[in-house]
Amino acid sequence: MQTLTDNVLMLKVKSGDLDKLGLLYERHKKRLFGFFYNMGNNPSISEDLVQNVFVRILKYRHSFTGEGPFTAWMFSMARNVGNDHYKKISREGVSRGIAPEQVDKGTGDYLNETMDQEGNAQMLTKALGLLPSEKREILLLSKYRELKFQEIGEILGCSEGAAKVRVHRALKDLKTIFLQLETR
Amino acid sequence: MDEKFEIWAMDYMSGNLSESEAKEFEFFLEGHGEYREKYDDLLKAWELLQAIQTPEPSESMDEAFFTMLSSEMEKKEDKAPKQSVISMLSGILRPQWAIGIFLLMIGLGVGYFFRPEVEPIPTQIMAANNETEEVRQKLVLTLLDQPSANQRLQGVSEANKFENADDIVIRALLKTLNSDPNVNVRLAAIESLTNYVDKPEVRQGLVQSIPNQESPILQITLANLMVALQEKASIEPFKQLLKQKQLDTTVKKRIERSIESII
Repeated sequence: MQTLTDNVLMLKVKSGDLDKLGLLYERHKKRLFGFFYNMGNNPSISEDLVQNVFVRILKYRHSFTGEGPFTAWMFSMARNVGNDHYKKISREGVSRGIAPEQVDKGTGDYLNETMDQEGNAQMLTKALGLLPSEKREILLLSKYRELKFQEIGEILGCSEGAAKVRVHRALKDLKTIFLQLETR
Repeated sequence: MDEKFEIWAMDYMSGNLSESEAKEFEFFLEGHGEYREKYDDLLKAWELLQAIQTPEPSESMDEAFFTMLSSEMEKKEDKAPKQSVISMLSGILRPQWAIGIFLLMIGLGVGYFFRPEVEPIPTQIMAANNETEEVRQKLVLTLLDQPSANQRLQGVSEANKFENADDIVIRALLKTLNSDPNVNVRLAAIESLTNYVDKPEVRQGLVQSIPNQESPILQITLANLMVALQEKASIEPFKQLLKQKQLDTTVKKRIERSIESII
């Protein structure tokens, strides 16, 4: 039971009640971790990036107006944290961390259904990884259904209609890549 | 049409349409096979997206977060006490100050309202002062004539209270200095007379009393006073005093030194 909405909690954080950030963290840590992980970062880096998001939330807490939903504000922060990270690693010439599931183990010999399911999950993650990052990003933002298209549009800097079209096309591309991997 | 369909399909899938709008979309799909297929593909892709699994973050992420949060809270608390002390003080003092000032104002108001209607009349004060001086003069003269040394001492100390003693009092004090049998009374008379050393008759009276003094303490006191006043007229009486055989040797030396310093 969430008696206190995210926005109320964040406004409390803003007014100096910092320990309320702990509740927000507990509510959103998995979602944020999933966002960074599925954007192609390894678990350790994903955890660091989640941490960075909350550091940034604390730093910029005074800019939270409470007009839009907290999740939209939080994902804007997450997106900036992610972009900063990609800029940094591309500048340093470090290869992107690859999630273990994305590594093609090259077995290709599925003997039973369980293994087949695991293979599907790996293939799906791989398909996601093969999508261009902006498409991957919009799919991950829409995955949790908490954000409305208008809010996704705000995060990405486009209109609500454009956000819907982009999600639609990204889903289509995901399925195409997945089918290609499946038929290989 | 494609873009319009894409938006429409996303709205339908995410439940953004009203009941009638949803039915309209379903009716459209029934009539258009190729769009039906497209929608089915979209739905499958959405299911695929939902099927994407994410591992659980490790406990070390929680540790790192809560360590960061507690250090931020400590930083904030370090800044906080100043504010809380100020706010605490102001919280305590503000009502008390208000009450204090309010009571002070009432006090001043009441005091002003009940103030005594005294218009000081200078002539009355002067008359009262003159009257007091006269009474004190009589008192001094009476006390100095008393047989008790104690009362005569009291008379001398009363004489000290005059702002400006008149000739009668000064004469009485000089008479005490020259003829009072008690050394302490004479000593007190000298002290009293030093208040009026700017009057020539006082200086003259003091110089004239030098040969009359037999007590060493009075002789030394007068010698010191004459040095302080640089009274040259006192040299002759001191020289007469030095001729006395029974003069104390300490006093003798002292007077000699005094004569030297006056010269």
